[in-house]
Amino acid sequence: MGSDIVEISINAAKALAIFLMMVQIVPMLVWVERRGSAFIQNRFGPNRIGPLGLMQLIADAVKFLFKEEFLPDKKRRLLFLAAPIIALIPGAVAFGAIPLSVPIHVEIFEFLGQSWGPYRFAFQSVELGIGIVFVLGISSLAAYSILLAGWSSSNKYSLFGALRASAQMISYELALGLSLVGILLIYNSFDFAEIIAQQQGSLAFQFLGKDIVWSFLPNWGIFYQPLGFVLFFVAVFAEANRLPFDLPEAESELVAGYHTEYGGFKMNMFYIGEYGHMLVSSALLVTFYFGGYNIPFVTPDQVLAGVESFLGLSSTGSSVATAFLLHGVFLVKVLIFLWVFIWVRWTLPRFRYDQLMDLGWKTMLPWALANTILTAIIVFIFRTQWV
Amino acid sequence: MLSSELLHIGLNHYLGLSAVIFVIGMLTVLLRRNLIVMLMGVELMLNAVNITFVAFSSFNQNMNGQVMVFFVMAIAAAEAAVGLALAVTIFKHYKEIDISAFEQLKS
Amino acid sequence: MEAAIVFYGLSFFMTVLSLGVLFNPNPIMSALYLVLTMIGVSLVFFMLDAGFLAGVQLIVYAGAVLVLFVMVIMLFDLKREVYTFSRGFFTRLLKVFTGVVFLIILVKSFFLVPETKELLNSSTQMTTKNLAGLLFTEYIFVFELLGLLLLAVAIGAVALSRIKGGTHAE
Repeated sequence: MGSDIVEISINAAKALAIFLMMVQIVPMLVWVERRGSAFIQNRFGPNRIGPLGLMQLIADAVKFLFKEEFLPDKKRRLLFLAAPIIALIPGAVAFGAIPLSVPIHVEIFEFLGQSWGPYRFAFQSVELGIGIVFVLGISSLAAYSILLAGWSSSNKYSLFGALRASAQMISYELALGLSLVGILLIYNSFDFAEIIAQQQGSLAFQFLGKDIVWSFLPNWGIFYQPLGFVLFFVAVFAEANRLPFDLPEAESELVAGYHTEYGGFKMNMFYIGEYGHMLVSSALLVTFYFGGYNIPFVTPDQVLAGVESFLGLSSTGSSVATAFLLHGVFLVKVLIFLWVFIWVRWTLPRFRYDQLMDLGWKTMLPWALANTILTAIIVFIFRTQWV
Repeated sequence: MLSSELLHIGLNHYLGLSAVIFVIGMLTVLLRRNLIVMLMGVELMLNAVNITFVAFSSFNQNMNGQVMVFFVMAIAAAEAAVGLALAVTIFKHYKEIDISAFEQLKS
Repeated sequence: MEAAIVFYGLSFFMTVLSLGVLFNPNPIMSALYLVLTMIGVSLVFFMLDAGFLAGVQLIVYAGAVLVLFVMVIMLFDLKREVYTFSRGFFTRLLKVFTGVVFLIILVKSFFLVPETKELLNSSTQMTTKNLAGLLFTEYIFVFELLGLLLLAVAIGAVALSRIKGGTHAE
């Protein structure tokens, strides 16, 4: 946590702020989703309350809070109430491990007659050397909330939805994990910060001992791993249970899937969980394949130098300014991907269940394996010193 | 001093934890009648052994223990898959998951 | 001091949760207690400075194996059991007695272990890279054998749970 009171309190506030960031993005996304779907389908969407219908968010929240509570079965009530809370956890915890910007360096300063510092605050809740494994492990726990919700509802449709969802999640987790192996082979690390650090500047790599620089492309993971990107992108959709893979809540077959029996704020918590999953997925996509918080063609050190000379701040101030500037860049990239999630949802039709399983096991898994082997061979050829 | 020994977490503490969990897993296999819960007992025992491996590996600065944990995990996953497949087959046949229903050798 | 509090709290919870697996008559609750125990095991790995194994423990056990358990129990729609434990008073007593004796033997045998060394944090030897190095050099044969085992198990599981004539028959 930290060594003295300032460091501990700032780290705690940071963890809380990152959790709140995940929770408060949900109403925004709900609004974007409703307006965006209306735009795509040539409708108006909610436009009556407030400017652009923005006050609809508050109206929705009030409605969710004052809905009547109803609980189906007495025997399974504990699990019924626990499931929505469990749905929140994986997204919130996993999001805390992703670096959102460069660390802030604070120089020694005087405060209340004492000297404090120097400090280094990472722009994330926890810094882990094994970040990728941690995020994959935590997000694999998301299946439980769905299973418990479906089972404790004592409803056939809910149970079917839950079983479908968990089978789908297990199947696509394989492709998800394997598509990341290529990235691991190339960047040689489980640490998000290190992966992002290797994606700065313009495209440069070593080929047969020679340095090759392509200055017209940024040094992003997608140019090294195009196939891995496509596989990861598709698998992430399946993990988030969104269209075109939203079989667990297929309205035409299963009423509403695992959350048929939920209403009011409890259903809203499932929403928060789903959007949290989207947020984590977008952040991972940006981190692995689109340079994380790096501005294209520019390294964070150059940004820091630019801020220092342009704004003329102290070293602490320019570090803070750089961190927030790069955080803004990261947020823009993540928001683009969140929009892609919504865009895809309102564009593509739903898969049939056997098509879904075929795609997962017979198409994506072999391609992910092929990508792994191919990347291993290419990395071996490029890194070996051939005399 | 006993209290300092208790407060200083060493290898023996981890081994004690793993022993307790192992015995609980063993009792689960011995005492329960439900086939699936018995499989869960086996998983508990395997995990207790994993804790022992990792504890020895960390305290002796030897990586071989962690490699063993890898193998144990893979085998445990395989065992769970086969065990559950057997349980499904048996349940389809007898409509019963109680272990005492499987005493006869012929169906 | 903090390490002691964390360790004792964690081991208390893990013991209670695994006792829940043993005593709860509802199989689904047993499975959920087991999930929490597995997360506890992962935390223990983390405390022992084996972060990679902690993550793998979460992915493999909590994320895959136990989801299968829970799914199978839900598919069977198992209710609260009337007969939770095996029959016979003396048999039960004997089994519990065996367990206790085994526990005593185990704990006694730990004191044969030569005195414990300090847990060195972040030493150069204990990295994930070294784990992979060992796995692919010294243990490569076992590793390949394990791949073969997993293949055999996959085929076996499919053969066991297959419906005759394919999934779309009748």
